[in-house]
Amino acid sequence: MNANQTQGAAAAAPIPRIALSGIKKRFGSVEAIRGVDLALYPGECVGLVGDNAAGKSTLTKIISGTYVPDEGTISINGEPVRFATPADARKHHIEMVYQDLSLCDTIDVAGNLYLGREPMNGIFLDRKAMRDGARAMLERLEIKIPNLDALVAQLSGGQRQSIAIARAAAFDPQVLIMDEPTSALAVKEVEAVLDLINRVKAKGVTVVLITHRLQDLFNVCDRITVMYEGLKVAERKIADTDLTDLVSLIVGKGHGMGGHA
Amino acid sequence: MTSAYTSRPQGSRLADLLAAHAQLLSIAGFFLIMVVIFSIASPVFLSTGNILNLVRQIAPILIVAVAMTFVITTGGIDLSVGSVVALINASAAIVLQMGLPWPIAVIGLLLLGAAIGAIQGWFIAYQGIQAFIVTLAGLSALRGIALLMTEGFSIPISTDLGFVAIGREWLLGVPVPTWIAFLIVAAGFLTFWGTRFGRYVTAIGANQEAARRSGISTKQILLWVYVLTGLASALAGIIIAARLGSGSSNAAVGFELEVIAAVVLGGTSLMGGRGSIAGTVLGALTIGVIGNGLILSHVSPFFTQIVTGSIILLAVWLNARVFSRLASGARRKT
Ligand SMILES: Nc1ncnc2c1ncn2[C@@H]1O[C@H](COP(=O)(O)OP(=O)(O)OP(=O)(O)O)[C@@H](O)[C@H]1O
Ligand SMILES: [Mg+2]
Repeated sequence: MNANQTQGAAAAAPIPRIALSGIKKRFGSVEAIRGVDLALYPGECVGLVGDNAAGKSTLTKIISGTYVPDEGTISINGEPVRFATPADARKHHIEMVYQDLSLCDTIDVAGNLYLGREPMNGIFLDRKAMRDGARAMLERLEIKIPNLDALVAQLSGGQRQSIAIARAAAFDPQVLIMDEPTSALAVKEVEAVLDLINRVKAKGVTVVLITHRLQDLFNVCDRITVMYEGLKVAERKIADTDLTDLVSLIVGKGHGMGGHA
Repeated sequence: MTSAYTSRPQGSRLADLLAAHAQLLSIAGFFLIMVVIFSIASPVFLSTGNILNLVRQIAPILIVAVAMTFVITTGGIDLSVGSVVALINASAAIVLQMGLPWPIAVIGLLLLGAAIGAIQGWFIAYQGIQAFIVTLAGLSALRGIALLMTEGFSIPISTDLGFVAIGREWLLGVPVPTWIAFLIVAAGFLTFWGTRFGRYVTAIGANQEAARRSGISTKQILLWVYVLTGLASALAGIIIAARLGSGSSNAAVGFELEVIAAVVLGGTSLMGGRGSIAGTVLGALTIGVIGNGLILSHVSPFFTQIVTGSIILLAVWLNARVFSRLASGARRKT
């Protein structure tokens, strides 16, 4: 299970865009991540699956700078980095759609999309640029929100999720992490997100997709990583696995046999 | 059987606008009602002299309330503002008596106020201690320092100094404190509505972790809002000292409550995430009008506090229960 996993646009790159090694994270008595190595290459989509509380969100939040790991190292293109805050990860073009969406309810749609990188007109926010940009972002994802001045609190669950996705995808990420991005979406909207993943992959973006909708993984992922109780227990190329195999890996019946790559 | 797939018709924008500004409209309505009542109760209430007197009197509340709007919108609170006013007020009299040139004294006192705010802000933002606790400690300790410095006496400020002009002089027919308050309100409004800082203050109040994940330096912003209240309180302390021509540790007792009441009356949410400088201005004006109107209507001063408290509760209740329901009702009908 190494080297030759990539088949995306920039397949030849020998150095992973992001490499985690020996990552550990503890919350009080819970050891959420118990030593995980993970390599992510340009232009590939890696599916991250596992039981509830397996540590998927925690691991990806470490990549996005939300949590600082207790142990272990992160390197980008071979260079070791340390993310003290999410702002540091953002500087390296790592964007994440959080499971809880992380929206500000009392700010309007455009304001949420541009939060933290508002276009400016001198010292003032350029509201017109924000609104026009927001409309373009949402159109690209075929998201229907009639009134961009609406506060995010007034939107439907799926609309809110779409905004979180649009925000992460819009600013040229190199690594796009999506933590259950489709949990609240209807049929057509899920398709739009999977299309989006395939589009950005083709541009060389590294995508990490966490989802419990296993069938979606087969539409977009190149590899699948399975976590169990804070450990990475298996890694499969998409061609080498199927639904039943994945299910048994997730519930913990298959990993004793080791990978068959 | 299916019916035609049509887009939902878009309702009127006016209804949305009304709903979004329901709070502001309700405090504006309440303010006008107060003005009407007191102008009937007292013939001098609407005289130019009284109006100018009123806007001079509320200048300190207005200045601090603008800064407090930022603090409360982050979901915090600053209970120490009255004590900072007292400390600066007493310090002003002391340093001027020592012969320090007044412009230097003013700059030094403003910096002192900012520094006090920064210390409190550091405990709140970087040490994660609740704003209520930190500023409650500040409320007690800072007035204590003022008492210690003055030993409880009122210290006179020489009227020969240019210093008193800050509180007493007039410019183009309007008192200087009113001009200062006007500038602070304008700056506060533009900052709150138009700048990144104002936007991030709202974002932090709405969802601090989301703001942090968006790359915003939430701790820095939190520290700054307390620097703003410290600075505004220092300015208020200077204006009060200049107007009264003395400094005392007993200045501005209960000031923090009036300021917070003005902000909350104006529709800023104590839960954070939602604030309005225009509302705060109306809130401060309303509180000023109530205080002034009751005196002019010859209500016993012993009643003033009771009436003020009741009116504030009534206003907030109307705001929360009646006006906002009217606004959402108006929305449903369209
Ligand atoms: N901030 C936190 N404080 C304390 N414990 C936490 C925190 N975040 C996660 N945990 C714990 O770490 C473990 C892993 O949680 P995590 O959210 O990473 O799971 P997950 O794989 O994303 O699960 P799900 O599929 O339910 O989203 C859980 O036992 C959880 O209780
Ligand atoms: Mg999760």
